[in-house]
Amino acid sequence: MYVSPRAQEFAQSTLERVIPDESELTAGVRIEPGKSYGFFTDTTVCIGCKACEVACKEWNNLPADNLGLTGHSYDNTGALSANSWRHVAFVETSGNGGVRATREAPFQSGWLMLSDVCKHCHNAPCLEACPTGALFKTEFDTVVVQQDICNGCGYCVPACPFGVVDIGSNDGKAHKCTLCYDRLKGGLEPACAKSCPTDSIQFGEVAELQRHAAERVIHLHDLGVSNAYLYGVPNSPGATGGLGHLNAFFLLTARPEVYNLPVAPTRPSRRVAPSLLSGLMAVAGLAVAAAAILSRRE
Amino acid sequence: MAKIVTLREQRVMPHGSALDRFHHYDGTTYHGRSQLKPAPFENGIVGTYIFLAGLSGAAAVLSVLAATTGQSSLRRVERRSRYLALAAPILGAPLLIYDLRTPKRFYNMLRVAKGTSPMSIGTWVLMNYSGFSVLSAAAQAASDVWGANQRLQSVARFAAVPEALAGAVLATYTASLMSATSTPVWAAAPEALAVRYGASSMASAAAALTLGEIDPGVRGKLQAITAGALAVEAVAGTIAHRTYYRKGVEAAFQSPSGIAEKLGAKGLGVLLPLGLLAASALLGRRRGALSTAAAIATIAGSAMLRVSMLGVGDQSAARPDISFRFSTPSNLAEAEQDQRGSP
Repeated sequence: MYVSPRAQEFAQSTLERVIPDESELTAGVRIEPGKSYGFFTDTTVCIGCKACEVACKEWNNLPADNLGLTGHSYDNTGALSANSWRHVAFVETSGNGGVRATREAPFQSGWLMLSDVCKHCHNAPCLEACPTGALFKTEFDTVVVQQDICNGCGYCVPACPFGVVDIGSNDGKAHKCTLCYDRLKGGLEPACAKSCPTDSIQFGEVAELQRHAAERVIHLHDLGVSNAYLYGVPNSPGATGGLGHLNAFFLLTARPEVYNLPVAPTRPSRRVAPSLLSGLMAVAGLAVAAAAILSRRE
Repeated sequence: MAKIVTLREQRVMPHGSALDRFHHYDGTTYHGRSQLKPAPFENGIVGTYIFLAGLSGAAAVLSVLAATTGQSSLRRVERRSRYLALAAPILGAPLLIYDLRTPKRFYNMLRVAKGTSPMSIGTWVLMNYSGFSVLSAAAQAASDVWGANQRLQSVARFAAVPEALAGAVLATYTASLMSATSTPVWAAAPEALAVRYGASSMASAAAALTLGEIDPGVRGKLQAITAGALAVEAVAGTIAHRTYYRKGVEAAFQSPSGIAEKLGAKGLGVLLPLGLLAASALLGRRRGALSTAAAIATIAGSAMLRVSMLGVGDQSAARPDISFRFSTPSNLAEAEQDQRGSP
């Protein structure tokens, strides 16, 4: 295991201040403006502990929602929402007709778990749709809503191809994962990635994460997990239709739909021009016809 | 080794090959939960705005067209459509602000102008349209009150030109606003939806002007415009539904909103008035109850088209089987072919 040499400088049990560039110690990456940061979520090592969900709520002061049982395996969060910016999906692949199997093949083969999050798309549809400029791209290449600007028009909600953005019922503003913008500013790794006990959620520079993820897929293939593939890297499912790559991308071992992810999402703003032009042409054509009809002499 | 080649393919080959293995949707969902979030709009409110924007935008266009003919019999049409064109700024704009979740911050819409966001395009078009339509209608009103005044008339006609240009956008950008989302039914047929909205706007404006028009000749002309626009709307509607079938989103129409679209927008709003107008033309009685009924049906159908399409879209976003079927690579290939070269 890699331990940063700087770790020795902070061996005391109580620290007087935040460790400068703490992410170097916890994630092996220094956070600098102008670079592109994101998450690589490797679902093959997720154990479904929901530490990411809890860490996210704690750090971002998000209220609880859905206090109850959904009946959907261990997923009682249900979906990403205004108050839940990490959501662990649970899929039981063994058992039959609601009855759990009593024997399992090795390597957690009876379970699929994925910690879902905002994808921080390269060409983010929510940002392109936002008419107030409340949604913006940060210096870390992440997508964030400015709560003091958002007027709750709600247009980013249907714009998102992943169903991530949501309007808060208590304050009437759009909310979603900020990739811990405040923590990045302070040199800290995002709360969910820091809390992940199995490194299923990895934080880092996107290019580096993509390289590392590709190696991980090759490694898994060599181990015999032949169905492992990446979702959200260039030329893969999820990074389609002009979206570009996703800054938060995933390693999956089943169809994307199994984890509630679309195979081929698209960038909505590509439909603006064709739609506007066809509409205007229709009105123009009808106006010409109307002019001819109106100028008829009786 | 073969497995590593699969990965290399994923990295170096264009879209198609990495997506091929997921080419067909096999019906999988995640516990039946929605994959997308439906728009949080209040469909009655936003649908009414879309209807009013279409009605008044098209009325502004018809007002200029009536003025350019120079026919004295069309003076009344020019004047009445100038007032009708006020529906969007006076009734529509407050509805839009009401639908915001934080209405007191509506002015933040004016911070930016964005070509990628039809909501932003619409904000600026509505602003400009409102200015010119209020100016033009105010000059018209002044001239109505203080007697026909040449100077006031020319102010009204001068302002009416930019008003009509903005009006044409106002009547159709709402289709673009819906298409530029990830909601399957709205995104499936951007061109057909826009033509449908544009035609419905023209039909509703001409129909509204028919009501209360006494000159049988003018009434006949307005009926002809209504009928032409309704015919275009019918064709665009048919094309739209074929596209919905092909892209696998038609199932969303098996819902109350879908039934409203079928019976209200297509039946009541297009087929019934077309039949009534044909009957009225055959019988040669253009002033009768037939044409009034046709006009009312056209207007009601135009409003129902907008409200029902919002509802059908919500249905398609809420149902994961529809949204997953829509986001298969087969629809992507077509979309990328259609949109090559656009921004």
